[in-house]
Amino acid sequence: MIQLNNIEKYYANKGVKSYILRHVTTTIKQGEFVSIMGPSGAGKSTLLNIIGMLEEPTYGTYEFLGEDVTTLNERKRIELYRNHIGFVFQAYHLIDEMTVYENIEAPLLYKKIGSSERASRIADLLDRFNIVAKKDLFPNQLSGGQQQLVGIARALAAQPSIILADEPTGNLQSAQADEIMNLFKKLNQEDGITIIQVTHSEKNATYGNRILHIADGVVKDDVKVIV
Amino acid sequence: MFRLNLKIALRNLWRNRGITAINVGGLAIALAAFILVTMYFTYETSFDKSNPNYKNVYVVGVSYPEFKTNYIAAPFAKAIKQTYPEVESVGLIKEGSFELTIKNGKNTLFTKNILAVDYNAAKILNIQPENGLTKPSGEVERLNYLSKESMQTLFPDKKDNKPEMVGYGASNSGITVVVAGSIRSNEHSNFVFDGISLAAELGEHDNYDMNDYSIFLKLKPNVNVANLEKKITDLYRYELLKNNTSKKSTAELKAISTFLDPLSNLHLRPKAGNDMPYKTLIALSVLGFLILVIACINFTNLSIAQAANRAKEVGVKKVMGAYRSQLTLQFLTEIFIQCFVATILALILAELVLPYFNNLFQVGLSIWQVDSDLIWQLPLILSLITLIAGIYPAMVLSGFKPALVLKGNFSTSKQNSWLRNGLLVFQFCIAVVFIIGLLIINSQLKYMRSQDVGFNSSQVVYIKNLTLFNNPVKFGSVSFNPVRDRLLKIPGIKSATVASFIPGGQNGINSYEVNASKANIDFVNVDFDYFETLDIKLKEGRFFLNTFKTDTINSAIINESAVAKYSIKNPVGQTIRGCGIDYKIVGVIKDFKTQGFESIVQPTIYTIKDPCGSYKTQILLKIEENKMADALAALKAQWPQINPKDGEDFRYEFLDELYGKLFKKQEQLQSVFFAAALLTIFIAILGLFAFAKYITNGRIKEIAVRKILGASDVQIFKLINSSFFIMVLIANVISWPIAYILTKKWLETFAYRIDLPAMPFVSSALITILLTVITVSIQAKKAVKANPVDALKYE
Repeated sequence: MIQLNNIEKYYANKGVKSYILRHVTTTIKQGEFVSIMGPSGAGKSTLLNIIGMLEEPTYGTYEFLGEDVTTLNERKRIELYRNHIGFVFQAYHLIDEMTVYENIEAPLLYKKIGSSERASRIADLLDRFNIVAKKDLFPNQLSGGQQQLVGIARALAAQPSIILADEPTGNLQSAQADEIMNLFKKLNQEDGITIIQVTHSEKNATYGNRILHIADGVVKDDVKVIV
Repeated sequence: MFRLNLKIALRNLWRNRGITAINVGGLAIALAAFILVTMYFTYETSFDKSNPNYKNVYVVGVSYPEFKTNYIAAPFAKAIKQTYPEVESVGLIKEGSFELTIKNGKNTLFTKNILAVDYNAAKILNIQPENGLTKPSGEVERLNYLSKESMQTLFPDKKDNKPEMVGYGASNSGITVVVAGSIRSNEHSNFVFDGISLAAELGEHDNYDMNDYSIFLKLKPNVNVANLEKKITDLYRYELLKNNTSKKSTAELKAISTFLDPLSNLHLRPKAGNDMPYKTLIALSVLGFLILVIACINFTNLSIAQAANRAKEVGVKKVMGAYRSQLTLQFLTEIFIQCFVATILALILAELVLPYFNNLFQVGLSIWQVDSDLIWQLPLILSLITLIAGIYPAMVLSGFKPALVLKGNFSTSKQNSWLRNGLLVFQFCIAVVFIIGLLIINSQLKYMRSQDVGFNSSQVVYIKNLTLFNNPVKFGSVSFNPVRDRLLKIPGIKSATVASFIPGGQNGINSYEVNASKANIDFVNVDFDYFETLDIKLKEGRFFLNTFKTDTINSAIINESAVAKYSIKNPVGQTIRGCGIDYKIVGVIKDFKTQGFESIVQPTIYTIKDPCGSYKTQILLKIEENKMADALAALKAQWPQINPKDGEDFRYEFLDELYGKLFKKQEQLQSVFFAAALLTIFIAILGLFAFAKYITNGRIKEIAVRKILGASDVQIFKLINSSFFIMVLIANVISWPIAYILTKKWLETFAYRIDLPAMPFVSSALITILLTVITVSIQAKKAVKANPVDALKYE
């Protein structure tokens, strides 16, 4: 599904290149649950951003679903966002002026999904995440864990084939974190959604089935998680 | 989708309601001003536009070396019509030159302007009596029409539209006239009248020396006007030469030319006149537009300042699959909503201010008219301000890169600061120019009020009169002496005189010659006591005196400017020749400003006897202040006996009020500038207030850290104020030269003016800096007073 070939990312400052990523080559298949781990500043988030096409690599090629997407115009990229990719953020990034319901509805509106279909999908998600009672609340009226649930529900609303999560539990207490990670695991196993997460926590990484260890921009280790 | 965006927009606006209110309120005020200006502009530029011939009508003007005029001899109309086929028709009009009383028994009507028009002119200028335009024929020489209201005054019980008989002038004048019907005078026209006197032909017995008509041409479509202008000049010179009654030399004729002035120019910038009204209108429009721009800048600035709050929304929406264009549209919608609300508020505001505005500009504008141009102008203005205010923020906001804004520590304060600061500086530039302008206009007006005009118009009463007191006797004029004798018997009346023109009005112009140097100068025909009544200062020689027999025959008094014009040495005793008389100069008076401060005092000659002069009808009395009321009452009672020929209706005006009208335009300008300066400052300060709020909010963390590091409150105030202080200073420096040039240009329209003072420049700097510091400090106070712990807590 994802094919990264010799990806490099650096910033040139006064002739000195400071590398964020070097020679990253890897393949991620449909249905995998990959955790990207490493110390602060290792380039984890940059790698995830490149996979999510939020940043372009300085060098190397990137194929998404067999299509070269290394440089892609905005319109095509947004088409991919609409149909294939869901994002989950550490700081949740819900839109403060929208209710829970509206936050989940927003991607469906961009995807131009009919109103009855929208209503049923949102009802389904609210039900599944047990947040039906909260649907008319605004994000600041929810706890962090609940906000992240809404964030995930929003990411799932457009029925993506892959979810990219940047430290999804970074701002959460451990009980809530476990809940979120279990949810991811369930989504991966039952719905076959590919999940790529960046995490600091060894424990969270074990929810997935593959771990990429990154240090100083280089993939040091690529291990399968054996349950 | 649209509904959701609308909801978000409303929630967003509500959350920032303080700033939204400032934004919308400021815009509404500016828009109200702009709407008024737009309405006024439309009104002023559409005089006579309802005339179907609007585009093809021209007035024929004459250009002399000294001046230009639209007054021309009547026979020339016929000459043009006969010579040039491209002229479709030619009409003549003549304004009423004096007040006429019209009577029906006890009902009296005072008319100022009975317009004499010939049938063609009425057709060209679209002057339509209510019962239709008919050509006078046969026995009926003239068809007279009065306005409906006038008819109502004369015939209160009249219901029908039948002709009525009325008396002209005093009831003993014996002149009766038939009023054929009523006519509506279009106030929105260059031709405003109390009544119309319609003739089949006008000025049939006039010659080429009698320049008291205006000729209007209706040209056939697509005529080359410049070419025709030249041909008419040739014709005019030819006709003058052929009928050379005034014995003009060929060189003099060569210096005379004619011009064609389109009807559309007549109201604002007639060639025979000045284009001050036009310039004022343009200046006013620019003011209105600038105020609107300032309000739009507030919008732009605050929207960009808010960008940090909206950046996350943009990032999230983009990764959820929103196109940039969709986001742009969303932000434009938000701004449109605010502009729309502002427009509604502006209309309400404009409606509230309209009475004052109408009063100030002497117009009758109204917003709620079905046929008003506002119907299409308003949506246009609305979309325009939405674009001006919204397009840039919308582009900036929708252009955010999700990867940057979603990392969490995104700040916009650096990126666009040059633009926001630039806009702020621009706003203050305009405000500073307005303040300086206002202060300088004020000083000039103060100068005009306090400066000696060279004569004293207070306690001088001007009595309207039709009796001619000319010397030599012409057209049945009578001597003023018995009238003066009776007037002086009334207690309180110190002096009485009669003249052809009064200060504040136009003088006559004629050719006079001293030592073989010939020039056209102003003349005023006066009587004894003229200079004493007006308290005019003598420079040398003497005033006219009863005791000198020659004063009523060939004595003249000239002013300093005339002495300079002819460069006469020792003028008293010398001869000045005009109208076939050798006048002896008996006195020289100091210049006095009959025409206000805008035009320079003209060389003028004052004579008692002048065969070529004008009618002496304007009676001037100097009355003691404390006996004014009694004297006026006595005058009213005795007037019929004092002035038996035109004594029935005693009407008077105070000369200082008449003269004060010369200042009216400038006082109008002052009011407008005052309003404009106040508005711009207010709106700019509103913007600054909201802007400072954002800046300090953005710096709360920095302020907290500084406080922990030991900064005192004063130091923090200084820190926050310094950047604004610099910006205002820059704005001042930029706008000083602009204001200097503009005010200098304005002052140059005055013949008598102040030197450009430095004080307004300093004051404007002080005012703006003070206002800025106060505004910013109010905002800074909150940040300074806040507990640093709250600001530094990690969210």
